[in-house]
Amino acid sequence: MSLFKLPSLQKIDIFACAQCGYCVKKCPVYNVVNWESYSPRGRLYLLKQLQEENKSFIGKLVSKDKLDIKEVVQRIYDCAICGRCEVACHLELNLPTLWAKAREAFFSMGVAPQLLTQVETTILSRKNVFGMDAESRGDWVIYTGVDAPVKKDAEIAYFVGCVTSYSGRVQSVAQAIASILNHVGANWTLLDGEWCCGHPLYVSGAVSKYRELAEHNVKAIKSTGAKIVVTGCPGCRLALAEEYPAILGYKPDFEVLHFTQLLDRWIAEGKIRVEKSEDPVTYHDPCELARLGGVIEQPRRVISALTSKFIEPLERGRDGMCCGSGGMLKATNPTLSATIAEMRLNSLLNTGVNTVLSACPTCDQSLAEAAVKAQNVRVVDLTQLLAERLGLM
Amino acid sequence: MSVKQELLTIVGEQNITDLHAERKVYSHDLAPLPSEVSWLFKSTPDLVVKPRTKEQVSEILKIANKYKIPVTPRGAATWGYGGAVPTKGGILLDLTGLDRILEFDRKSGLIKVECGVVWQSLINLLDGSEWRLPVCPSSSPSSTVGGWAATGGLGYGSLKYGRFVDNVVQATVALPSGEIVTIDKMSTPLTLEQAFSSEGVLCIFLDLTLRLAPKLEAEEPFLAYFYQLQGALKAANRVLELTKPDTLVLRAFGFLKARRDKPIKSIEDAESGAILFGLFNGSKAEVEGWLKAFRDIALEFGGNVRPSGEAWDEWNERFYPLRIKKWGPTVLTSDVLIPVRALHDMILYSWKLGKESGMDVELEAIFTSPEHVLYFPLFLSDERKPLKYLSHTAITKKLIDEAVKHGGRSYGYGIWNSFHLKKSEPERKKELIRLKKQLDPNNILNPGKTFEARSKFGLALPASLYSLFLDTLWVFGKVL
Repeated sequence: MSLFKLPSLQKIDIFACAQCGYCVKKCPVYNVVNWESYSPRGRLYLLKQLQEENKSFIGKLVSKDKLDIKEVVQRIYDCAICGRCEVACHLELNLPTLWAKAREAFFSMGVAPQLLTQVETTILSRKNVFGMDAESRGDWVIYTGVDAPVKKDAEIAYFVGCVTSYSGRVQSVAQAIASILNHVGANWTLLDGEWCCGHPLYVSGAVSKYRELAEHNVKAIKSTGAKIVVTGCPGCRLALAEEYPAILGYKPDFEVLHFTQLLDRWIAEGKIRVEKSEDPVTYHDPCELARLGGVIEQPRRVISALTSKFIEPLERGRDGMCCGSGGMLKATNPTLSATIAEMRLNSLLNTGVNTVLSACPTCDQSLAEAAVKAQNVRVVDLTQLLAERLGLM
Repeated sequence: MSVKQELLTIVGEQNITDLHAERKVYSHDLAPLPSEVSWLFKSTPDLVVKPRTKEQVSEILKIANKYKIPVTPRGAATWGYGGAVPTKGGILLDLTGLDRILEFDRKSGLIKVECGVVWQSLINLLDGSEWRLPVCPSSSPSSTVGGWAATGGLGYGSLKYGRFVDNVVQATVALPSGEIVTIDKMSTPLTLEQAFSSEGVLCIFLDLTLRLAPKLEAEEPFLAYFYQLQGALKAANRVLELTKPDTLVLRAFGFLKARRDKPIKSIEDAESGAILFGLFNGSKAEVEGWLKAFRDIALEFGGNVRPSGEAWDEWNERFYPLRIKKWGPTVLTSDVLIPVRALHDMILYSWKLGKESGMDVELEAIFTSPEHVLYFPLFLSDERKPLKYLSHTAITKKLIDEAVKHGGRSYGYGIWNSFHLKKSEPERKKELIRLKKQLDPNNILNPGKTFEARSKFGLALPASLYSLFLDTLWVFGKVL
């Protein structure tokens, strides 16, 4: 087996970690598992030990106390990469990147969870994360009956994403986005041949073939002529806006927006008018949209246009609590992921409100699954609620 | 039935582990240890146990006595002297699971909390109430109430409200035998005063009843930059004379300056700037008066008083003194409690040490009373260079020796500073040994620490040898 190797910046970070523990109780995984090795501080310590064990000849000779790499790998993958540790970090270390780079190292060593190597194969062969037929990616248009054009010379391209395209529970988000785009009379299009954005590969550590996906999707977007790409999926937004420039070595010539950012603009410009209700709602910040993507105020302004009774949860914005489904955790450890989702739902319901909004198809799904046991709780995407209020759904 | 199985019946399967990765994570605290330490101490525990009730703690201690197994209590492990690090393996007791608020009397301001409650959660809890914490540690976002009780109890607010122990009415502790007792200022066999700062060698704090401070009419932080450290020092002394701050902190920058070729003969040779910040609380008139006095003092000594917004920013950053660590990436420090009059000389000495060893240094001083200051210089080192780093670790001894010369002492002892207890506090050492023999005849609770450094082989390391070793390391480091 090859040695565990991190890029130099991340290597410095694992030594720089002060082990102060400010991150520990912020971590959703630690709060469920309750053992330090599953906390960011514990993981960093294990990575440091692994690095040290590899380092010196003498160290190898005297050390009888070597780590079992499988135990370390499990702890690195039992993480939603939600980034809440970074907000708490005493030293402001870039921890989400460190987790991703550690996974990359493990993936290249061949010790990553077997499931994720299968996910890589699936994505590369089927062009979607579920292993579904690539040709049926646009079937949601037929199911929902919405008018969704595929054309050239559009101003806006809608990047739907795997989860929204294939997952029945949240295809309504795609329907809502398409309906609103039509409602404002936007010149928009779906992509002709959208592939998985590649974000699942990035968070799995399986980055060697990521470039293929990025190049294909950029080409597909450019062929529409659109200068704005919108998506309802925060993971896709991160991929298109931040991971593609890094992986391609250049910034593609289009603006990438989460749909709530566009809604915020249109509401401010008066293109969307909706009567404000008094229905109480609360809002779950998707980690990849708020903390990792910096989109915090825009969804709030959209919600404030919808209702006068917006009750914020205690954990919100940059300090929002994770739903447990990021970082492929829902695939690699569904039980842990579901427990975190229940914790998050409970914290949202502590507001006393029964309508929980979010702006991410994966968060929508996880929280809705957690809400099955709860009575009279509705989890709905912000975009869908707006479409309903506009009479479009 | 094995020890593990016996413990398992007490705490349940979810709260005990012997997984290697887990045990490794619980083998250290804030300070990175050179791997050679494993030759002397077995810092990796055999089992990690997470009790959820005080009765479980009691039962675990009884089993430890039965089999004569060492027990190391651990809060959030935010200390750097080895207090929560095992010396002979055994059971590591993770006390963070005891984290309930047991009682809060909003009329009297008394709050009873379990030992694993994190200070920040108390701050959050009191946010909307009429009460505030009188004192809290600089590591409040993660450190626990029980951990601070065991390890020092001086920090923000001490200048006005005294030590943590002065703000505690009573506590429930587990004695090494497993007996659970309530202690206060007059209790036997242990008083609050004896239990506090006993670093887990005499008892385990289970819960504490804190006397909160009422929120006062006005609360306002203050901040001034000083081009010269000397001015900040003089201003700090004058602030102590003329005002009554809740907290007063002096932080001196100038790190990277210690490498200059010029010798450092006076503080100004370090060309360090400094900031003075803190908090006033009291009646509106008092706070306004003190703020005006602070402005006048700062101006007199060449300070640049910053606006309220910036002062609040600095105040809100008070729990993040280790930000500079990323430039190390390792920090070496030793907190010493020294007379205020010695601060000038200690700063000068720190600069000299930094210069000699090639380590950059940032200085922080929290005034804990008009007479005393908790001083902790942060020296930047690099543990990735093992030989150099090993020689750098001798700096803690140098600092403590110098503090003792000035009538000060180490803030804590743990494993690494235990050699200094005799010189710093000879009477306290005698009392600790007497109580230890009386309360822990099997020597199972946090053994080999605080008043001795006893290796995994059962031998106490001689202070003179240790002293010689560190002095040699220091000289060796200067040659490197």
